[in-house]
Amino acid sequence: MSDLTLSPRQSRKRPGDQLLTFGLPLVLALIVIVFGVISPAFVSAENIASTVRSSSIAGLMFLGLTWVFAVGEIDVSFVAVAALANMIIAGLISGGTSWELACLVGFLAGSFIGVVNGVLVAYLRLPSLVTTIAVGGIATALAASIGEGYSISIPEAKHLAFITETRFGPIPLLAPICALAFLIAWYVQEKLTLGHYIYAIAENREAVVEAGVPVRRIIFLLFVLAAVCASFAGLLLTLELTSGQPSIAASFFLDGLTAVLLGGTMLKLGKPNVLGTLVSVLVLSALVRGGALLGWQDSVFQIIKGALLVAGVTVIIWSNVERD
Amino acid sequence: MADILRMTGITKRFGSVIALRDVDFDVGEGEIHALLGVNGAGKSTLVKIISGLYVADHGTIWVAGQQRSIQSPRDAIGCGIAAVQQHPELVGDLSGYENIFLGQEGERHSLFDRVDRKAMRARAEKLLERFPIEIDLSTKIKHMESVERETVAILHALKQEHVKLLILDEPTSTLTQLEAEKLFEVMRTLKASGIGIVYITHRLEEVFEIADRVTIFRDGQKVASLDTSDAAHDEASISRLMLQEEMGELYPAKAPEVATPPVLEVRDLTVTGALERVSLTLRHGEIVGGFGLVGSGIETLAKALFGAERPNGGEILLNGEPVTLKGPKDALRRGIFLVPGDRKTEGLTLTKNIIFNATLANLGRASYPGGLLKRRRNDTLIAEILEQLDLRPPQLWRRAAEFSGGNQQKVVLAKGLFSEAEVYIFVEPTVGVDIGARAKLYALIRELSKSAAILLLSSDFDEICGLADRIFSLYRGQMSVPPSRDLPRDKILAGGLMGAER
Amino acid sequence: MTIEALRPLLARVVALAVIVVAIAVIFQILAPAYLSERNILSILKQMTVNGIVAIGLTFVIVLNRFDLSLAGVASFCAMTLGFLLAVTNSLLLSVIGCIAMGAFCGAISGMMVGRLRLPDVVTTIAIGSIAYGMGFVYSGGKHFSQNFFSTGILDINDSKLLSIPMPVVIMLGVAVLAYLILHQSRYGQSFYAVGENPTSARLSGVPVRLYLGLGFVICGALVGASMMLNVAAVGAAYVNTGNRILLPSYTAVYLGAALFGTPTILGSLAGAFLMAMLLNGFNILSVPFYYSDAIVSFILILAIAIFSPQTLTWLSRSLRLTGGRSRSTAETRG
Repeated sequence: MSDLTLSPRQSRKRPGDQLLTFGLPLVLALIVIVFGVISPAFVSAENIASTVRSSSIAGLMFLGLTWVFAVGEIDVSFVAVAALANMIIAGLISGGTSWELACLVGFLAGSFIGVVNGVLVAYLRLPSLVTTIAVGGIATALAASIGEGYSISIPEAKHLAFITETRFGPIPLLAPICALAFLIAWYVQEKLTLGHYIYAIAENREAVVEAGVPVRRIIFLLFVLAAVCASFAGLLLTLELTSGQPSIAASFFLDGLTAVLLGGTMLKLGKPNVLGTLVSVLVLSALVRGGALLGWQDSVFQIIKGALLVAGVTVIIWSNVERD
Repeated sequence: MADILRMTGITKRFGSVIALRDVDFDVGEGEIHALLGVNGAGKSTLVKIISGLYVADHGTIWVAGQQRSIQSPRDAIGCGIAAVQQHPELVGDLSGYENIFLGQEGERHSLFDRVDRKAMRARAEKLLERFPIEIDLSTKIKHMESVERETVAILHALKQEHVKLLILDEPTSTLTQLEAEKLFEVMRTLKASGIGIVYITHRLEEVFEIADRVTIFRDGQKVASLDTSDAAHDEASISRLMLQEEMGELYPAKAPEVATPPVLEVRDLTVTGALERVSLTLRHGEIVGGFGLVGSGIETLAKALFGAERPNGGEILLNGEPVTLKGPKDALRRGIFLVPGDRKTEGLTLTKNIIFNATLANLGRASYPGGLLKRRRNDTLIAEILEQLDLRPPQLWRRAAEFSGGNQQKVVLAKGLFSEAEVYIFVEPTVGVDIGARAKLYALIRELSKSAAILLLSSDFDEICGLADRIFSLYRGQMSVPPSRDLPRDKILAGGLMGAER
Repeated sequence: MTIEALRPLLARVVALAVIVVAIAVIFQILAPAYLSERNILSILKQMTVNGIVAIGLTFVIVLNRFDLSLAGVASFCAMTLGFLLAVTNSLLLSVIGCIAMGAFCGAISGMMVGRLRLPDVVTTIAIGSIAYGMGFVYSGGKHFSQNFFSTGILDINDSKLLSIPMPVVIMLGVAVLAYLILHQSRYGQSFYAVGENPTSARLSGVPVRLYLGLGFVICGALVGASMMLNVAAVGAAYVNTGNRILLPSYTAVYLGAALFGTPTILGSLAGAFLMAMLLNGFNILSVPFYYSDAIVSFILILAIAIFSPQTLTWLSRSLRLTGGRSRSTAETRG
């Protein structure tokens, strides 16, 4: 045996890679510092708590979405899924169902949208973008039909409200829940076969199929997971807002895509990954909170988020182009 | 030598077509057994039966002395038969060993196994102990050379403990001669460890270099099974067996020397890192051939002459006028046409019909000044052109994807003819075209040369020698043998394989 | 040498006619006013906005790209139109400005996708969001309706040419032009060549990036043109004018592609017409908007399922089993 060297060879690193890897946390730090200086209210316990809470909900919503993008598919129905879960829960409660049962049904119904997406994309091999546009359209329509186009007000959940309301100092209970979910997801992504296959499929689906890996099942699962996450986020939104609104999550649409793609600039060099998503969610939340304190309008956020999205995509594409 | 595989009386039909008729075949331990035959002769059907993709209608199969029934790829693997496909699929971003054990990272084969890279590396080491091949498996596939990738694919097939027979389907088709040598080293290593290899190839000379035996197929029947060490056989006799005709008839007669003014003159053309001071002259009435391997610069030369690559130095003269080609559009406008090496991805719009494809390179001619298409006129013109080229089937509304390789190449030619080009650059024109259709294409190119200047660039040495009138060799971007007539074949070959003589 | 195949166009037109008649009969039974001249004209008028957007979108889909900026760009164009009307009091100037703004947004998307090679889906989502935000710039979100009478923008909606409503005339004009470009000219052939195989297109002398950009510009400009009709019909320009444009226009294009085997102008127009027939019928029956949305979405899924290569392969296999030659399926995809 001659020159078998199985020690991992250092891949060709370029100086830009470091910046790329840590660029996003730096941006986060920068935002916090700048807003903290301009407006001290930004670093108040109250504001931090509410920023972290909204980040946690958004983070949970986009967790599954991350892998759908990582595997090379796209899902634009997550907003509709969250809205559907939200409206079903609100509808059931206003009809007299208990909170627990309503939450369970709403959560399952939202997740079922993922099953539909998964069957259509993974097994019937329909293009994911248009499929999820259409399935999302159906989910949105169903959500609207529950309140006949209007929102539904519901009483506060007495014994479930603790989920969104409990706080340890400035840290809401949701934060450790979200952190734990991302920790587990990170482990699955980095250490388990599922994560290994996700990125392999993105690069050469045929090779993974030939290796006997159940690729269709994986893609199916990822769509279901995306809907489960979105559905759960819809549930949390219901608890927090104590109402059902057919367009409750509309503002999350752009955030989700931006978070996932911007997150791809971090760590895995151009590939969407859960940790990157988490950090970009924090970036977006901090930006929105800080901007709101300064009196920025929604339209300004639209423009900033759109610009960030373009920036994220550009960085991803360029970093990959230079590499090969 | 013990038999690993023995097959007798194998017959396979598809509907009314008999793909294999009563074939006997065997492979011994540590034997490299080559399969030869033109496309459709039956060799790939046989290989698919061995690897379980097809089930034979009749016949018996013994593996290692036991009669076995192979009904599926799983059965084949169970018998210790492994196959490497022609274009093995690998994940570029994963290392060699991660590719080898893709799908078997963990113990339980579930989606939630731990990916134990340490254990995988240990298994890779073990594999390399059994087959002492020189390769660094921790390199990512995308940083590997083609022969290394092929080796990874072979190791992937051999990862099961008990593999006795390996099937290699045209592994050298994308390799340069030097890389092919490296692959042969790998094959010899496997041979030494007792593995039998069934080896499909189109390259005759390789058969004598690497194989112990060769079986030749024609029309679904086994024509002969020969020992390559037997001095009674040579390339000519084997090609006779494959074709029932002399190799010489494949190529049309060559043209006498011509003294017409040059159409395209290239002086000291340089593309940094790929081409160095290349000069040549193309005239009506003759075919200039350039022999070079992958990476020799033939691709770059073609692209530079077609405006798809900017030269850093040198001159291109078209009918005596110096020109700067701004891009393919500009080259086409000036009458230069490229028949690209990969017609499926570069030459044709496969989902569109023949008229669409044939008019695409000169839409100006295909339309009125305002841009509206001259539908009827185009239809008749293309019909005339393809009548001459003998397109089969002669149905212009069929999608390009539905034609055979040779006929697709005719459509690309029609594209050039419609664009009224006077300079044609052919890159590897007959890759994936079977020998029967090749002869027709060669005749067409010869016919074309009477009214146009032709540059033929290929890594197929026989093709260059058989078809071109003046021949040069490219080696690492340099013209190791300048264009000349009647050079001895070995000199041209050496120029392409090893560079200029010192 | 056979040049002309029996073009299956006739079969497709028949299929389309059957669907149209079926829909018409069902609605006529449920709502007797459905087939009145008045209502037919109103169906035609209803389809104009989505029809024009679908025509523009067809160019992008033919290029094998997506444009998801439609909604945002539409809103921005509408607000631009309203703003220009309020400021300049000139219909011509305002309409030109509105269409130019759409073309400009398309040009930015086209440049990013064509020249910078950014992925189309995400890029156009981002551009759409920026455009949507820009719609607030003129008035901070308040709607425009100044000078709507004096400039005559409302006449675009209300006037008729030879008893055909003006919006329908405009849409037909756009459709004829688009048909000539995409199906009868060298430019259209280039669009298809770029969409199917950019490498071979480039080596055939087709300026690939230019056509990629051009597709988005045409799409953007037609979104602007459609907003002119929309604003004229609504009588005011709102920041969310474009919100309900994306789904119907994609459905129209894919429905057309499913009917005609490949995205075409005629197909998209037919798709938009079918959608308008349905939506109008639901409207008469006072079906709430969310149910009709659900039906539109469902049709979209059906359309892509029929258009998908998988289904086509399956269809061709079953056709071969019944002894039919493969020609019909080949044409379906070609």
